[in-house]
Parts: sequence; structure tokens; C-alpha cells
Amino acid sequence: MSDEEGAFIGRSFICDEELTVSTHDGEPGFLVRILLPSYRSLPLSCLERIELSVDGAPVDPKDITFILNGYSHKLDEMCGLSKLFWFILDKADLFIKRKEPLGSGKHELEGTMVMVEPYMTVGRFALFYTAKRQLSIATDL
Amino acid sequence: MTAQPGFHVGISFHSFATKYLTYQYSFEDMMEKAAQLGGGVEIVGPSHIRSFPEVSDEFERSFKSSVDRYGLTPTSYGSYADPFMLPDRDLTPDEIYEYTVPQLKGAAKLGFPIVRLQYFAAVAAERLVPLAEKLKLWMGYELHSPLTIESETTRKLIAQIKHISSERLGLIPDCSIFARSVSQNHINNGRRMGVPEEIIQEVLELWNKNTPVDDVIADFRARKLDEKCVSWADMVWGGFGRSEPSAMLEIKQYIKHFHGKFYTLVDGDEPDLRYEDVVKTLLEMGYSGWMSTEYEGAPTDAFAIAKSHQNMVNGYIKKYTMN
Repeated sequence: MSDEEGAFIGRSFICDEELTVSTHDGEPGFLVRILLPSYRSLPLSCLERIELSVDGAPVDPKDITFILNGYSHKLDEMCGLSKLFWFILDKADLFIKRKEPLGSGKHELEGTMVMVEPYMTVGRFALFYTAKRQLSIATDL
Repeated sequence: MTAQPGFHVGISFHSFATKYLTYQYSFEDMMEKAAQLGGGVEIVGPSHIRSFPEVSDEFERSFKSSVDRYGLTPTSYGSYADPFMLPDRDLTPDEIYEYTVPQLKGAAKLGFPIVRLQYFAAVAAERLVPLAEKLKLWMGYELHSPLTIESETTRKLIAQIKHISSERLGLIPDCSIFARSVSQNHINNGRRMGVPEEIIQEVLELWNKNTPVDDVIADFRARKLDEKCVSWADMVWGGFGRSEPSAMLEIKQYIKHFHGKFYTLVDGDEPDLRYEDVVKTLLEMGYSGWMSTEYEGAPTDAFAIAKSHQNMVNGYIKKYTMN
């Protein structure tokens, strides 16, 4: 398989799914659905960086929690998680801590995911994936 | 169902990547389609197995049920060495061994006779061979561009295979190494990326002269060309190699599986990869094994294009078997 196949599939890492107002560890915020823009599962140690902005304002990485299958990880802890695989068909959530609730209507989510395909001939080589979507907020069940 | 000896054409599920990743095909759907695509199944470990690098009992049961239901033959399991998974250092040979062991055991558990190795696994091969013998597996290093038959790395792999001298270790050529030209699609990608036209022409000339990609990249860097020129050149050599199909004759005893990579079909044939010469050579060397159809092009009706690819390959098999 060639080095570039992650790119040819070209999936936007921010899913076209509504944002969900939520709390995490008692803090208010909201969830953004994301996927792994590869063709295969990867250990979390291959995720180098996730950056996000909401309506043009960058989110402090400390306010982002990565949640996969119900288990949450701080972004700066993921580099140590080489035994924990993100299965390619599973979506994950980013919990964004936020005191003021998001206003109604659509919000612009823009971000970059820096991810390593860990077998390229040239060594550890990071791929940059950018994504931008206008997403609305899920209505309460 | 065990296939008779001979040259068979099956399917790599990597061909369905786009449909699988967008939830249009489930794993079970691919198993069902494989029955109409020659019946030989090749999977990609970390794409298709949730419990990767292990194989769970649950996946084993559902896989074997599908194999029975559709009368399939597991052909090859795509394993990974992933040497660069850690942020601060490369995996050690011991760690690559530890990462590969559950993949070999998993492949055997699912009934695969063959495991595709990335050449990075070579540092662990001496230790993996006894396990492969125990599990009755054959392991092959994939020769995928930019690695060609003539590459220095390949020469080292062949020397190692000879040195270890086990029938459990060999090579899996990928058809991308037998290119006659670079695809129009790859050239258009370069234009889309903003690579200047004169650099595109220069790259194609260098490729035609079979210039090693490392030399090209070193020269581009020395000339301080834009990084997109470097990365496009890397893509060209990564997608297309210039090995002679007849070069397989010298290493035929090490080849027990083959990847039928293709990027596009025009009038029923791959315009840039030398399929007719490849099939002719495989028959000449008395090849007995599977060729896995492996589509890696723009999103399309993957089933239809895989079927057309198999019709082409089977057509050449027929043509050169009758002579």
C-alpha cells in the first residue's frame, strides 16, 4: 500500500453530525463528533495534535478532552497510549469545556488533526488534515 | 473450501476501502462480494479487525461462519510493523517482534496460510520464522514501490531470506513495481497541488530514466524547490516502480503470493502497469498461488472495477496458458 492512501480517501475528520450540549466531570460544554482520517486503526500515540476553533475563536487545548468508547483522555496524554487503538470504524468525541452555552443556530467548527501513518519509508511522518463545518446543536431528547 | 493448485485471482478488501470507511459496505458485505470475485479473501489487519493486533474469539467465529457460508478461501493477512508509532523513538526489534506475534497468531486463528509483512519486520524475521513454522504460516515481505526488485533494500531482504533459508519466508510483489508509465491521474494531482509544469516534465523524464527517488529528492532539496515538488515526486515513485516483470524469474522460488494493485482501467486494461507481461511471467515461472485484486484509485463502483480487473487478469491467464 502506498504512503498517500490516507489522503486519497479524503475523509473530513469533523463529522457532519450535530453538536451535543453535555457535561464532563461536572463541567459544562459540548461534544464534537470526529473520525480517524486514515484507512486503518491507529494507536492513539499516532495522534500528534488536535486543534479546534469555534466560530473563529481558538479553543485552548487544555479545554479539549478526547473521548473514545466512553473512556476520556487529555490531549497531552495521548502520545503515551501506544497500546490503545482507535478502530477505524469508531467515531470519537471531543468534549469542549465552555462556560457560556453555545447560542442557537449554526456554529462554525474548524480544525486541524496532525496524525502519523507509522510505516512510511521516510520515518515518522506527520500528515495534516484540516476540516471545516457549519454544525447545528442537537435538540434535547 | 480449499482451492486447487494453480494461478487464482481473488480480492483484497483494501479495494473496498472507500465503501467500507463510509459504512456503505460492512465486513460481512465484503465477504459476500468476495464469493463473486474469485473467492480468495485478503484482509488488512488493522482495517478490518476491531481487536487488532489480536484476533478476538468473536471475530474468529463470524469470519469462519462467513467463509463457510460463501465458500471462501482466506489467502493473505496484511500485517503491520508500524515502527514509527511512538513519538520519541522508533520501535526496537524486540518491540516489532512483540507487535507481530499476535498478528501471526491471529492470522493462523482465522485460517490464513500467508501473512504479508512490511519490510520493517525484517529486524525480527529470524525470531518470527520459528513461530511461522509452528503456526504453518508463510510470510512474505511486500515489494511495493518505491521498493522494486532491483532496490538495495530488496537485495538485502533476498540475502536475508537466503541466509535464514526457511521455506516460511519470501516475497510478495505488488504490481505497482511493474509500471510502464506514470498515470495521468497522478500527473493531474501534481498540477492540482501546484507543482510547476516544468518540474512535472522533469520528474517524468527522471522517472523514465529510472533515477532513484532519493537522488531526485536530494537534488530538489539542494535546489531549494518547494516542498510540494518533493512530496509529489515522492508520490510518483511511491506509486510506480520500474522493475522488469521477467526479473521475477530469478526470485521465483521466493514468491508465493502477489498483489494485483491497480489504479485505473481503460478499455479493460491498466494503462500504466504491465499486467500482460506480469501474468505471462508468472505463468512462465509456474506460479501457483493467488493474485489479490487491489484497487487503489478514485472512489468508484469498487465491485465493478474489481470484477473488470479480474476479467483482464483471467483473460491473460487463458491467453498464455493455451499457448
